[in-house]
Amino acid sequence: MRRRSAQGHPFSRRRFLQLLGAAGIGGGIWAPSLFSAAGAVASTAAFEEISATASGIAWTHVSGRSPMAHLPETVGAGCAFVDYDNDGWMDIYLVNSGPCDFYEPSPPLRNALYHNNRDGTFTDVTQKAGVPGNAYGMGVAAGDYDGDGFPDLYITQYPYSTLYHNNGDGTFTDVTAKAGVAAAGWATSAVWFDYDNDGRLDLFVCRFVDYSKAKLKFCGDLITGERHYCIPSIYDAMPCWLFHNNGDGTFTDVSKASGITQSRAKAWGVVAADLNNDGRMDLYVTNDTVPNFLFANRGKGRFEEIGILAGVGVSSFGKARSGMGVDAADYDQDGWIDLFEANVDQEMYSLYHNDKDEVFSDVSNPNGIGVATRLMSGWGLKFLDYDNDGDLDLLLCNGHPDDTVEKRIEGVKFREPMLLFRNAGKGFQNVSQESGAAFSKPLAARGLAIGDFDNDGAVDLLITQNNGAPILLRNLAGRDNHWLGVRLVGTKSNIDAVGAKITYQAGDLLRHKFKVGGGSYLSSHDPRMVLGLGKRTKIDWLEVGWPQPSGKKERITDLPIDRYITIVEGEGKWK
Amino acid sequence: MDPVLAISRPYRNRTLIAAAVTLMCVTTSAQVKTKAPAEGSSSAAERGIGLASKGRCREALPILKKARAEITNRDLKYDVLMSTARCAMGLEQTETAVRTLLELNRSFAKDPEVLYLTTHYYSELALKASHDLASVAPSSAQAQQLEAEAFESQGEWDKAVTQYQRILEQNPQRHGIHYRLGRLFLTKTPPNSEDAKREFEEELKIDPNSAASEFLLGEIARQAGQWGEAIPRFERAIKLDEGFVEAYLALGISMNAAGKFADAVTPLENYVKMLPDDPAGHYQLATAYARTGRKQDAQREMTLQQETAAKSPRTSPQQ
Repeated sequence: MRRRSAQGHPFSRRRFLQLLGAAGIGGGIWAPSLFSAAGAVASTAAFEEISATASGIAWTHVSGRSPMAHLPETVGAGCAFVDYDNDGWMDIYLVNSGPCDFYEPSPPLRNALYHNNRDGTFTDVTQKAGVPGNAYGMGVAAGDYDGDGFPDLYITQYPYSTLYHNNGDGTFTDVTAKAGVAAAGWATSAVWFDYDNDGRLDLFVCRFVDYSKAKLKFCGDLITGERHYCIPSIYDAMPCWLFHNNGDGTFTDVSKASGITQSRAKAWGVVAADLNNDGRMDLYVTNDTVPNFLFANRGKGRFEEIGILAGVGVSSFGKARSGMGVDAADYDQDGWIDLFEANVDQEMYSLYHNDKDEVFSDVSNPNGIGVATRLMSGWGLKFLDYDNDGDLDLLLCNGHPDDTVEKRIEGVKFREPMLLFRNAGKGFQNVSQESGAAFSKPLAARGLAIGDFDNDGAVDLLITQNNGAPILLRNLAGRDNHWLGVRLVGTKSNIDAVGAKITYQAGDLLRHKFKVGGGSYLSSHDPRMVLGLGKRTKIDWLEVGWPQPSGKKERITDLPIDRYITIVEGEGKWK
Repeated sequence: MDPVLAISRPYRNRTLIAAAVTLMCVTTSAQVKTKAPAEGSSSAAERGIGLASKGRCREALPILKKARAEITNRDLKYDVLMSTARCAMGLEQTETAVRTLLELNRSFAKDPEVLYLTTHYYSELALKASHDLASVAPSSAQAQQLEAEAFESQGEWDKAVTQYQRILEQNPQRHGIHYRLGRLFLTKTPPNSEDAKREFEEELKIDPNSAASEFLLGEIARQAGQWGEAIPRFERAIKLDEGFVEAYLALGISMNAAGKFADAVTPLENYVKMLPDDPAGHYQLATAYARTGRKQDAQREMTLQQETAAKSPRTSPQQ
């Protein structure tokens, strides 16, 4: 059989790929106005930016951008909504760069912990709390690993990470050495979850490439000597870490015994969720230039990597992409948790529908996500019900990793706007253009944490920028509907109830939500779950499916709305 | 200005071209010295090469032509052929130059200097042809199309569109113009798939056998997740051109995406036979096999996917 195409216009592989990509961004499909017409949602802004003056958050990320173009400079950093003092109000943690072999910041830089003053303002309490970070910071994962009721902070860094134990009195103690979780290397995202169902939070830490000042490679213009940030394919992949919580304040590195080290990673993002409904938490890890991992938890402390056969490892063209941001949620309410992956420009992002039996289908094209993200590079992202209508929407933060990209690639920007996709029940609609000025503002976005900092039931956003100030966005859209906020406290299961499932009925609305671990990029979220009710004024019942080792289901009635409640495992009531 | 002359304006000065060839000849003389034949050889070939290196091509060329058939030494053959090609180019002996370049490309296929020389000369021939077209038929559809294509290659999308549209005004039935317009609309930033779609459909009205138009209409549908439209488009593209390799892959991808895994197997099997080094085919075929219960076949294809992907790692951000 001859290999050619019609009309004497042979399609080279590269040309074919260009056309495949380009074909999707045509005006008619891509134009936001069409989505707007279909969306027909709130005409007022869904989110409003809170200025630094108003919030009191004066801290700024400094990347230390150098002529040497060290790769860590362009990828940080993360952030968290965390109620460190358990006062019921979300505080904010921000990660900065710091000293390492290629960078000695002058003046010194530090992370920041901002206490929520409950009036829309925040106070910097970093010094008192003792959580400044001590290396080149990347991300943060909050989790109550010792079950004392106060969230602890794991700060991922280069060339080693730090665990801050929350003392419960507004201060923290660096317990990294005692805990044994330093993770020497370049750590990126991390997640607390209970992989062995012993009721304690274990720790998975993504590792990026084998990197150090001595291993820096040249990428750039050989004539002028000007460097740009290297594509990670030229650096060696390294295995991620899995630390088992021993229950005594120490951890055991089980990376090898669990099978995690069999897969060499260049990992940016991770989300923990039970993807095959077998009662064990699996891990989806996004990698840059090597296939993504789906670590299926096979029990007895072992994971099996099945990403490619599951359909979430590589692109539809069989090639690894630059997987960065990630999340998991059952957006279509079929009982199976779906996945989302953001990539770099030209690669498009992927919404993976869980087809059950450990296989997924990329449904980004029919949902308009593929075409909208063609030129985007995605980091922080999260499924969230921003308008409290009961359906999980999707928020994507973007920005190209290379600050010289505009010289090289037409149409691709270093700073890119966020995207908001509304779940309309039968698919997603791009509603970015009508969701306020925040969605037309170009950002060098990296981290994204979601959390309700003003306790109004509308989940707000915290976005970090590389080498810039963080953005705090107040959610206005969620206020139009009713809601119930739920804080789950595990007793037999892990205290943060990671892996729990809440099902609820409000009149004709029957919905469920899974509490996944992690997700987004380098960031950590408000642990409370907000259940959207739409215009319904009553919630009939709520059922909590606690994660293993409990596995218990508790149905609760006589519930209030438009407020937060706490449900403690085994108590059968709310408070 | 005459359209074709506009295309080639930077190269119109024949003196400049001659100077370039002379420069190449001078370069050769230095290279010849480093590739001197073995001592003791006093062949006519060496004499021809020596004359060529001094720019005395009129004397050198007959000697080189005569000598080349008898040479067995590979280095000497290389020098003779290169000298012959350069002299023939300088003397505008096109047939000799082309024949010699063809022989060089056969005998020294991966030699950078051969490839460099070939590129230059073929470019010059293309320019010469464009000059001829401009002088004999400056307002012909062919001349206008050439100009439009030149604009296209330079990224001058709007000018290219105008030029293609001008061709259609003069000859609405001309094959391939709507197709090229459609492709142009897809290439623009941001691409315009609605206009592209309209152009491909127009092309098919003029030329129902345009497999490429069917293919790109299928692609536009596939990108929008409209499998019901994409699949028959790709099927028609294959029917029109059974060697249209990418259409098999696109059909297989669309079948898989539509959940028609069993139907995806045949086009994907065809694809991997035609392009065994492309991980895309193996990946999609593995998916189709896996979803139809053929686990062993799926595993085999997955292994091939990994092997082929490893052979072509990404080396630049946008590869």
